[in-house]
Amino acid sequence: MADLPLAPSDVALPEARRRLNPTLVRYLSALRTPKGVVGLSILVLMGLAALLAPVLFPGGYDQQGPQALTGMSGKHIFGVDEFGRDIFVRSLYGLRIDLSLILTAVPLSMAVGTLLGLSGVISERLGAAVQRLLDVVIGFPGLILGICLVAILQPGWPALFLTILISGLPTAGRLARGAWLAQQSREYVLAARVLGVSRWQLLVRHVLPNAMDAIVVNGAVWMVVGVYIEAGLSIVGLGVQPPTPSLGVLLNNGLRFVTQSPTYIVGPALLLLLVSVGFSLLSDALNEAVNRR
Amino acid sequence: MTSTESPAPVMAKDAPLLRVEGLRTEFRSKKGGIKAVNDVSFDIYPGDVLGIVGESGSGKSVTARSIMRMLRPPGEVVAGSVRFGGEDLLTLPEREMRRRRGSKVALVFQDPQSALNPVMKVGDQIVEAMTVHGVGKQAARERASDLLEQVGIPDVQTKIDHYPHQFSGGMRQRVVIAIALANDPALLIADEPTTALDVTIQAQILRLLARLRTELGIAIAIITHDMGVVAELCTDVVVMYGGRTVEKGTVEQVFEQPRHPYTAALLAAMPRLDDDRTGRSLPAIPGAPPDPAAPPPGCPFAPRCRFTEEACEQEPPALLQIGGAGQAAACFVAQRAAGGLDFSAPVRDEPATTTGTPAAPPAAEAVLEVRDLRVDVGSRRRGLFHREPPVYAVDSVSLSVHAGRTLGLVGESGCGKSTLSRSIVGINRVAGGSILVDGADVSAMGEQELTRVRSSVQYLFQDPYASLNPRRTIRQSLAEALAFRGIGGRAREEAARSLMTQVGLRAEHLDRYPHAFSGGQRQRIGIARALARQPRTLILDEPVSALDMSIQAQIINLLEKLQNELGLGYLFIAHDLSVVRHLSDTVAVMYLGRIVEYGDAAEVYGNPQHPYTAALLSSSPVPSVSARSRERIILPGDLPSPANPPTGCRFRTRCPIGPLAQPDRTICTEVDPQLTLTATGRRAACHFAGELALQA
Repeated sequence: MADLPLAPSDVALPEARRRLNPTLVRYLSALRTPKGVVGLSILVLMGLAALLAPVLFPGGYDQQGPQALTGMSGKHIFGVDEFGRDIFVRSLYGLRIDLSLILTAVPLSMAVGTLLGLSGVISERLGAAVQRLLDVVIGFPGLILGICLVAILQPGWPALFLTILISGLPTAGRLARGAWLAQQSREYVLAARVLGVSRWQLLVRHVLPNAMDAIVVNGAVWMVVGVYIEAGLSIVGLGVQPPTPSLGVLLNNGLRFVTQSPTYIVGPALLLLLVSVGFSLLSDALNEAVNRR
Repeated sequence: MTSTESPAPVMAKDAPLLRVEGLRTEFRSKKGGIKAVNDVSFDIYPGDVLGIVGESGSGKSVTARSIMRMLRPPGEVVAGSVRFGGEDLLTLPEREMRRRRGSKVALVFQDPQSALNPVMKVGDQIVEAMTVHGVGKQAARERASDLLEQVGIPDVQTKIDHYPHQFSGGMRQRVVIAIALANDPALLIADEPTTALDVTIQAQILRLLARLRTELGIAIAIITHDMGVVAELCTDVVVMYGGRTVEKGTVEQVFEQPRHPYTAALLAAMPRLDDDRTGRSLPAIPGAPPDPAAPPPGCPFAPRCRFTEEACEQEPPALLQIGGAGQAAACFVAQRAAGGLDFSAPVRDEPATTTGTPAAPPAAEAVLEVRDLRVDVGSRRRGLFHREPPVYAVDSVSLSVHAGRTLGLVGESGCGKSTLSRSIVGINRVAGGSILVDGADVSAMGEQELTRVRSSVQYLFQDPYASLNPRRTIRQSLAEALAFRGIGGRAREEAARSLMTQVGLRAEHLDRYPHAFSGGQRQRIGIARALARQPRTLILDEPVSALDMSIQAQIINLLEKLQNELGLGYLFIAHDLSVVRHLSDTVAVMYLGRIVEYGDAAEVYGNPQHPYTAALLSSSPVPSVSARSRERIILPGDLPSPANPPTGCRFRTRCPIGPLAQPDRTICTEVDPQLTLTATGRRAACHFAGELALQA
């Protein structure tokens, strides 16, 4: 069955396509699928909203109005909170916190995790030992890990950052180690070894580029997980501290006042949902593009 | 164990069992349809064995799936009819078709590994095949054991309750055939049924199919890429190329007087066991098979054909009768030539593959020597508290490769030939013995030794699709190799370009990625990469077995040319004996980690001393009708596990002259034969060397 002409062979490609980096071509094609377009649009919109929040609402997130805990209205589309502050404005500022968290912590986590996973390149024993350490991290659910970190540090941005960073390490490490182990037996890696290519060059030229797909997709998935970790810790009051808003903090407050103002929680929850849907769609689109054959 | 067998006389041909007419199958995509099968027609009569032969992308497998209506979307039959027993299978409702699948027409797949459910006992799987068609459980179970007996499974009463993993590959394929036979089908369609199997196992399965056909009188359609299999087994043949039938006829007609230039060129380009062309280049077919996505407007073979005329490139020729009754070819030129085309004229060579004279200096120095090498692949797997016992995949092997000469290493899968070759380049660790490169001992494989090995010994891998990094351009791949020679800047550019020309590729294509090249071209790139380090020895690990038939000769010629130009020593590893015969000066035959015979290629092939060599030679399918009547030695059983090799002679469990056949030969179970000089001055590891002579 291997010889079924299911896909047009690449040999018929126009010359320009033959010289394009196939990785790039696939990532770009992912962004052109419906999932990719919708996901990316949501994320761009969210990103712009977060970026422009200080421009649109120069008064900041702490401006109080005369009324408190009103529902949604034309003037305050998400309503007003217990101190008479506009929830929409606070949500946008909260979005800034969330996005800044995951956009820094997750890539760093992926990079560090990948490096740790590749420690097997130095010696097989070291690689196995590091893997066991990462397994220990898996044993701690994100919440427990966060509570431990908060106990050591203070509740706030740094603790959240570290929690997200550390919880992402094991998956990234496993992926990288898996890629290293799997590609050891690939013929192009063997061919490079026979040429005399050193282990580090092997890694940089052959293993990492071919593991990139999995790492990128995993990164997009962890963006969603990152948002959830922030929300989870904030709901139990261990996230950023008031009056600074984050989406999790707003959800926490919304829950507290759910009887007085049931719609309080809707706005922040909607933004949280949009961010996670955006990243989910994007990772899905990338995953499909990467695994298409 | 030895016998002769020739196909039964052709039965009276009245009504065809299956008539395929004007079949067209397309794979539709956004970019337009791919015509995978384009106007294919043939008949199968009761008792026929029809060979559908073609290269990858020729549409042979799609044809089989179209007949069975088992195409997966976007595949779709767009025209034609498949008449079976008076009804058109293509227009039946799916329910009705399901009733006929398996009971009237049965299918055998290529890979017995994945055709069986691993969590179901084989007996239950055969029973299931019958109960879905309404047979009672008890009756089905009785029939299952009869079937297993019929397909040659020993000890049926226990084996029927075994799981697939308890069977070897060949035995699994027998089970698959038993399942196919369960409902007494009138037609068995086998899609490459022996491709995944070793030569000696393939011979067993081919023998089985031939027997079933005579015993049960069923018709068989066998889809294959191997002309040898067709010549061995079939009565009729359909040759497919680029989605079209280019020639059909009886096996005698097509093999003795092919009418289509493609068939003729293909037969001429194949290396033969009795090759008298050693040292001369094969008449390779230039170019590559057409891309199904962009077929030429006219005859699909026109771009590669030496008879091409203007008309050939404009519209595809129809399949019309040429020669005797039943033979037909789709070729304008052949249809005009009354006495048949003259195919004997030299086929034009590709510019890159013109060969010089094969003047290897006699008694050249040894560039690579292996002495008593042992490779342990067992204790590599180490648990926390225990170490696995050693498994010697290579056990005391000695050989030497000389400059400008080729040593062919032959053996079935699992005999240790790849482990051996990978140990030489330091991929597998050596457990004992020594490796000498250019006379220097490198067995320690430390930093210094590896550098030495790698500057002198390079490796060409089997799979051209897996051996190039998909994310690096050809230039980057070559640069990586050239960097070790300290070449940089403009010199590197020059070197990369000249390497490309040397292997017959265009230097302008250096910036392409591997996916833009065909299999044959990729293998050329692999060769260029190996040559970039200016080695003195090349290890060729099955370099042509993953390539299409019409491409193999090109690569073989290229390898010969390079050897003559550069004086390279080749260690050529293959399971295909005819390819080894064509390229090799010396041959080593390996069985279960040992070399059992070693000697001059012509002598080993002409008069094998070891019974295993004799069996291998006689099991290899020969693409010639006259070879059908030859005596065949078909080895029973399977390759034993190297973890637990038999005592004494390792071959004794399958040997046709050993204790199996002659129980008084206890020496074979007690004494391990060494590779020593036999009475005829050859080297073979057998107590009774030379006893089993081959009849030509």
